[in-house]
Amino acid sequence: MNWHVGGDDPLTRLLVGERAIADMSLALWDRLIPQAREASMLATVAWQVEQAAAWDSVPEPARVHLESAWRVADQNARGVAWELECLREALAALVEPPVLLKGAAYKAADLPNAHGRICHDIDLLFPRAVLEQVEALLFLAGWMTTHLSDYDQRYYREWMHELPPMQHLRRGSTLDVHHNILPETFVVRPDPERLLERALPLEEWPGYRVLCPAHMIMHSVVHLFSETEWDRGLRDLYDVHVLVEHFASQHEATFWKDTLQEAQLLDLERFLYYGLVVCQRRFGTRIPADVLMALRKTAPRWPMRDFMEWLFQRGLDTRVCAHYPVSSALARPALFLRGHWIKMPPLLLMRHLFHKAFLAPDDNAGIGAPGNRPEQHG
Amino acid sequence: MLASAGLWLRTGPFVAHVRSRIPSVGRGIQALYGDFPWLQSCDFADFHVELRAPYGIRRWYQPQVYFISDSRSVFRPLPYPQAFPMLEWGLNWCVANLANHYLMFHAAAVAKDDHALILPAPPGSGKSTLCAGLVCRGWRLLSDETTLVDLSTGMLQGLARPISLKNASIGVIRDFAPEAFLNEPCFDTLKGTVAHMRPPRNSVDRVMAPAKPTWLVFPRYQAGAVTALTPRGHGDAFMALAGNAFNYRSLGRVAFEATADLVDQCRTFDFMYSALDEAIEVFDELACRR
Repeated sequence: MNWHVGGDDPLTRLLVGERAIADMSLALWDRLIPQAREASMLATVAWQVEQAAAWDSVPEPARVHLESAWRVADQNARGVAWELECLREALAALVEPPVLLKGAAYKAADLPNAHGRICHDIDLLFPRAVLEQVEALLFLAGWMTTHLSDYDQRYYREWMHELPPMQHLRRGSTLDVHHNILPETFVVRPDPERLLERALPLEEWPGYRVLCPAHMIMHSVVHLFSETEWDRGLRDLYDVHVLVEHFASQHEATFWKDTLQEAQLLDLERFLYYGLVVCQRRFGTRIPADVLMALRKTAPRWPMRDFMEWLFQRGLDTRVCAHYPVSSALARPALFLRGHWIKMPPLLLMRHLFHKAFLAPDDNAGIGAPGNRPEQHG
Repeated sequence: MLASAGLWLRTGPFVAHVRSRIPSVGRGIQALYGDFPWLQSCDFADFHVELRAPYGIRRWYQPQVYFISDSRSVFRPLPYPQAFPMLEWGLNWCVANLANHYLMFHAAAVAKDDHALILPAPPGSGKSTLCAGLVCRGWRLLSDETTLVDLSTGMLQGLARPISLKNASIGVIRDFAPEAFLNEPCFDTLKGTVAHMRPPRNSVDRVMAPAKPTWLVFPRYQAGAVTALTPRGHGDAFMALAGNAFNYRSLGRVAFEATADLVDQCRTFDFMYSALDEAIEVFDELACRR
């Protein structure tokens, strides 16, 4: 099997610094911009250009698209900051500060991957015991629960690791309230107490906490590698790459030891193995050989292990610039099935899919939604 | 050529790389985009679009067509005969979603001597008919659907793309301007019967000339109504215009300031009409009195 370390596609090569921005021809930008759009990383590319102070090297026809993406990301960042202010006020009565997850956490902690990353909703983690209180406080502050059917409410509250998404009445923003990082029905069940115990306060955002570095990376890995939809896979993997490089350099002595230990305690070693190995092949992430050796023991044996790695790599390829378009097209549904398979036990999964296919009212999201009707645009 | 490598079509500030094997798409482009600059190859395109039939059973049974942008389908499929309108709607989608370096309004815009008349309105208000009528009587077409505001200059940038006409409007414009070219109508779309009017050559040639926002008019067609142009307060006009913006939320404060600047520069009105020729007279007079 032929691997491409660093990927052959223009986006990966730019992100890892293999190709300088000044060396990018207009024709290369023509390939990169659609690819970056698909992966929701166009604003991240704009950030790279900003960091390299290389705006003058970007030809005008390409530059306007980076500018377009950057404007949207910039406004999104302001929106998230405002939401965090409002939420903090709403949840002031809680004893333990809530833990931010994913995009909102990266922004609040000012992590390197936060710049240019669009956050569509805010994810929070609480101990299960306070969920009722949290829901009540949010309700008083104008947050309404969505997915009101009995089935959907049960799906979230009993089987998943989160409440049904909540939407603010006036601002329209979305909130996901979690009590774990993986569903109750998942094949692996990490202990949420440990995550909450080791969460760290934020200097710039008193009233909030974030997961400790080892947990943040594991959450990022587990979130991606249990996904059903891999459309933003490359972006999520890039998160892992940036976070690993950042924390490994910040906490040189302790980071890897801590991460291995936590992975074992939370029973997430196999996920971490996949995450790190795929990341290394894709982005050239610097991972000590002994760390990978230690995790490799938890991975399945050959050929399954190699097959899984291949599957993830192909699933991460964007449709634009896919080096192996047929393999990628096959990998995506395979990962979709795998995602569902590990999310729930087989019988429950069949019941759930049956319900979604035949009993549930038309889903408001997706390709049939009003926004996706072409006639609306003319 | 459209079927293989595709062609690169320049519409105002955007280059669209279009590919399709569907004959009606090729015919539509030839008929309506004949005056537009196009190339057989180009280093860069702002939008990469394709119209194609599905790969499965719907390729033959009640055939459908997909609009693909950047290698993915962005809409539900439509019946195959609607392929050309789908291209138009799809290109509108591309502009509205991918061009956030402009502030964009759901509004028609035309210009006289590079002074722009902006007509924001929800669908069904008759803005496209009015737009087509004005354009057939000497006004320069900027856009019938998406008004673009340059964020650094505050000036309007046109697209000069074909004007979309629906149902009764098709007959109205045919009678009003028999010399105008309208393509074969497409029946049974969700909006009814749809046809497109070729933009005047002059509008296409001058598309890159920016226009200064001068009049902001909220039109409403009502059968049998007396033609009436009534002043509207700037504050009220601002709220109504902002409500018609595509990317107001995405741009935030920048959008607020640009919208306010635009409204400040304009004379703002509500407009009620039922007879197209009377309506044109009103605007011609407005342009004279400037």
